[in-house]
Amino acid sequence: MNSGVWEEVGRAGLWNEWCGAKAAADLAPAEASCIFYRLRSGPSVLLCQCSCYVAEDQQFPWLEKVFGSRPRRDVQVTVLTCRHVTDYKSPESPGSLPTPFLRALKTRAETEPPGCPPLEQPNIAHDLPAAVLSFCQVWKVPAVLYLCYTDVMKLDLLTAEAFRPALSSQSLRGLAQDVPQSRECLKRLAATDEVQSNIYT
Amino acid sequence: MASRYDRAITVFSPDGHLFQVEYAQEAVKKGSTAVGIRGTDIVVLGVEKKSVAKLQDERTVRKICVLDDHVCMAFAGLTADARVVINRARVECQSHKLTVEDPVTVEYITRFIATLKQKYTQSNGRRPFGIAALIVGFDDDGIPRLYQTDPSGTYHAWKANAIGRSAKTVREFLEKNYTEDAIANDSEAIKLAIRALLEVVQSGGKNIDLAIIRRNQPLKMFSAKEIELQVTEIEKEKEEAEKKKSKKSASS
Repeated sequence: MNSGVWEEVGRAGLWNEWCGAKAAADLAPAEASCIFYRLRSGPSVLLCQCSCYVAEDQQFPWLEKVFGSRPRRDVQVTVLTCRHVTDYKSPESPGSLPTPFLRALKTRAETEPPGCPPLEQPNIAHDLPAAVLSFCQVWKVPAVLYLCYTDVMKLDLLTAEAFRPALSSQSLRGLAQDVPQSRECLKRLAATDEVQSNIYT
Repeated sequence: MASRYDRAITVFSPDGHLFQVEYAQEAVKKGSTAVGIRGTDIVVLGVEKKSVAKLQDERTVRKICVLDDHVCMAFAGLTADARVVINRARVECQSHKLTVEDPVTVEYITRFIATLKQKYTQSNGRRPFGIAALIVGFDDDGIPRLYQTDPSGTYHAWKANAIGRSAKTVREFLEKNYTEDAIANDSEAIKLAIRALLEVVQSGGKNIDLAIIRRNQPLKMFSAKEIELQVTEIEKEKEEAEKKKSKKSASS
């Protein structure tokens, strides 16, 4: 995000039992759990990177702060999130599923079909992504949630590439660039996270 | 339902699951990928190397281990569990040699490891070993062998298999590309193992470790240079194949 393409326009901190000992007011700017960016070449494109758990009682106030009390219907919302494949309910065992794989859920106001299969029942979305989608459904905002089921819960090239079908959607098509060095960039990002604990080999 | 039947290893759930064993399979998927190929005159083990911390001695982070002169093993999963299993297997190999004056067969030591793992799925107060293993070697009859074990204590012989993270992707690649031509000679079998790993290894040849055993020869670990040479050859062959393909489609 510090490549110069995105410009940071806001930060938000929140505190709950999962965030750690510090109260929200004591969080340094670098510790903010939600950071908002704007695309320099297209100021109408905003990105929110949320790296903390937003508790159920905090979700609605968070959404109201981000979208406003009367959200606009001419925005397009796309949510990208991951879950572990063992959370995916299907007749097949988790070991036989082709991880990572992508599923989508969308609001009624979103008319374009998503670029991957819809999330099958009885699977559901959870936490903040579900809250965003529910909020958008209530306020008739076009929104789509892309949920990647993966068996690694850290940045991984294969998992990042699993989101590729999302780039063909109307909302992201204009942003997607077939940059030759995108794979190298992803590899570098994955490499920074690569030094793992010694528990697993 | 799972939460009521997954706390103790010795408890079956109503639908016949041993949840702790299935959870141990998930621990295996947290380990990096290992692939084993059984050739005509060679067995190959290839693994995705873990990135080590700067100050860590790389030699002490190994996924491929020798069990005896003619048998070696690659594992995926919990490092400490692997160490315990390997130590027990090595002792068993020497004990067998001293007792019956013959080296273990690959099947014997695989069965020993699998039996050990199964015991830990049926004992109170213990948990299963969180590792899967690929065991390769040559028996006295000169036939190459490849076996795979998993935390439940099952073991099977394979022509080629993969364990660890992204094992499914590698297995699918092997199912498409393991042919008699692909293992016709030793270098083709080695290239097949590397090609299979390159499907999922993110940073190319420098994150691959490779070991081979040839008939009547001890284990040979490839150096980084040798692996890099193989990867370069593979990439060259890939380019040539793509050029041929585009020429063909242009002429048609």
